[in-house]
Amino acid sequence: MKANKIYPTWFALGALVFYVVLFFLPGIMGIGYSFTDWNAYSLDVNIVGFENYKNIFQANSNYSIFIKNTFVFTLVSSITKTTLGVALALLLTNKKVWGKNVHRMLVFLPQVMSFLIIGLVFKNLFHPSRGFINVTLRMIGFDFLAQNWLGDLSFAFKSVLVVDAWKGTGYVMMVVIAGLNAISPTYYEAASIDGARFFEKFRYVTFPLLKPVLVSVTVLNITYGFRVFDLIYSLTNGGPGNATGVINTAVYSEFSKGNYAMGTTLSSLLFLFIMSISYFILRVMNKGGEVEQ
Amino acid sequence: MKRKIALVFVAAMAASILAGCGGTDGESAAKKDSGKKVVLTFGTHQSGIPSCGVVQELAEKYEEETGIKIDFQISPDAQWRDLLKVKLDSAEAPDIYCVDSDVLSLYSRIRPDDNAVDLSGEEYVDRMADYAKECVTYDGKVYGIRFAEPKINFYNYNKKIFSDLNLEPPTTYEELKEVCQTIQDAGITPIFEATQSSWHQAVPLCVTGAYYESKDPGLYDALNDNKKDIKDVDTMLTVLKQMNEFAELGFYGEDYLSNTAESDKTEMGEGRVAMTIASQGFGAIVAENYPEMEGQIGIFQIPFGDSDVLGLNPSSAAYFVNSKGEHVEEALDFFRFLARPENLQYRQDNNPEEMGLCWPEIEPEYPEEITEYINSLKQGTVLQVGVKYIDPQFMDIGKDIEAMYTGALTPEQVMENISNRRIEQAKLQKDKAWE
Repeated sequence: MKANKIYPTWFALGALVFYVVLFFLPGIMGIGYSFTDWNAYSLDVNIVGFENYKNIFQANSNYSIFIKNTFVFTLVSSITKTTLGVALALLLTNKKVWGKNVHRMLVFLPQVMSFLIIGLVFKNLFHPSRGFINVTLRMIGFDFLAQNWLGDLSFAFKSVLVVDAWKGTGYVMMVVIAGLNAISPTYYEAASIDGARFFEKFRYVTFPLLKPVLVSVTVLNITYGFRVFDLIYSLTNGGPGNATGVINTAVYSEFSKGNYAMGTTLSSLLFLFIMSISYFILRVMNKGGEVEQ
Repeated sequence: MKRKIALVFVAAMAASILAGCGGTDGESAAKKDSGKKVVLTFGTHQSGIPSCGVVQELAEKYEEETGIKIDFQISPDAQWRDLLKVKLDSAEAPDIYCVDSDVLSLYSRIRPDDNAVDLSGEEYVDRMADYAKECVTYDGKVYGIRFAEPKINFYNYNKKIFSDLNLEPPTTYEELKEVCQTIQDAGITPIFEATQSSWHQAVPLCVTGAYYESKDPGLYDALNDNKKDIKDVDTMLTVLKQMNEFAELGFYGEDYLSNTAESDKTEMGEGRVAMTIASQGFGAIVAENYPEMEGQIGIFQIPFGDSDVLGLNPSSAAYFVNSKGEHVEEALDFFRFLARPENLQYRQDNNPEEMGLCWPEIEPEYPEEITEYINSLKQGTVLQVGVKYIDPQFMDIGKDIEAMYTGALTPEQVMENISNRRIEQAKLQKDKAWE
């Protein structure tokens, strides 16, 4: 490529300044504040070292529940949405399926809805006595399946995960469909000539060529999972008790209590988790180099 | 030539922009905005303004008179306290905001010196009752306007259900338990509970604070001076255990973990539950939508822990003008409008929830039966108003009680959490008693 065809470096300067001022600096400042006693009741900010971090990992703190919930949510939500998204993408790129675009639209539709609206709608659907789900189950004689979906400790977190999968699967499906459409049909024709069946084609053609897409989807799912807030806030507000609370609901609660330093400490931890896990995933999934088409 | 024309255009544009910056200092905000309709934002929680819509009606009258529109932004009770704090901290709070306020909690809730306009010089301030003024005063300055009298929570009960089952209003815990058992056996949910609203389940525990203090005089002072740890208040633990026992016995029904407080009127009006915690005006509100319930709802004092003391809560929803808001002058003018005697009277006449106002010039309208009953009881101050660092964690206490009901926490752990949060808040606020 000719040198004069390449954009000069200073073209990126504007974006770089914005990035540094609006993202990088606040991030670094946030980490800095996590070592202080910054709060709403005093203008003085004093260094307290690792005090806030120690409080988080104390034996009797609720923060360990929030951290555990965040990890569980991220793991289960990422696996569920990716698996379902890939399965639906394979189904809805199959030539034999009728009305593919309509089906794709229906699956994708929840993605465009606001989390708050979804939270309110599902709160009503999940109501133990008047909610659509239990009323329907009772109507068709499956009374024993009717549960207190958001109020029972054994179901609340699972119900939140189901709603999250319902909302997020469509997005994964669309990205995977784009990836599938980019794979040349000649590979499948060659595989067919070699006698490959569906699962063999998936394993030896689709999966390797879809890997870059799956890496992106996984990283997006994980960063989303760690940052989850609005769905849980609107659906259960972290309840019953703290059963569905995650790191970000705790951050919100700390800020509202005026304990800014603890809020930034939790945010810094979240940043650390997201950074290290995303890096690890990118390393593992990109191992073996790019697949050449 | 082209460059000259461009320069002339740029100069003209700059002049037109600067022209908008002129104006005398004394110009009112309304004048500056002339030609543009002023919209005042009014943020509140659901129970911050009467559900009958009387404040909205007054706002419409105000709009007719001045052309200034009030845009009400109503948030769920469980979310408002946190939301408002976040909005105040990020300078995004509405022009007027409503928050429950009392002497101990005013500062931690809104930090009025930083976030509210001082109303001390307003004419109407001296017309408010002293106890109301005290609740909105910080550092000698009055920051808010309020209308409601002290809140009192009772068990409101369905008289018909009670008489059908030959029941009398209970006065002790054991009597309450027996009453609930009889009602439950009749296929009716004894008590309406709504843990989704977080504050609802914390009410019996904190209202009974007046009784804790009467049993152990000086308790509130000892707690405020950090001479006693709240987790060591035995009567409070007893009440928690009794509340938990009620949940285990199913006295709150099947849906209480999914209920929100607003559905209490429907549940009581349709006779699906026999009792609910609410103020003395609750019966009149229910009767508005269920005329057959007229005179059918009675009240009795909450008898957890065998309490015989009525808990008064001088704290109430008060309105504040956001000092960082866009329309401070207009907001102050709206307060003056609300405080006009004819508008105060209108408020009382059209609001069954408020039978009296904290404005001595307005005659209260309590039925004699209620006044007599209230006067017959010993009275004290509720826990969240008498003891520091309880009110800022009121919602957290509610969440802990919800966790206790689901079996995730024991009553002792709930007490421990309340104590830990008090220590945390005291340290944050650099309380000398905790140093």
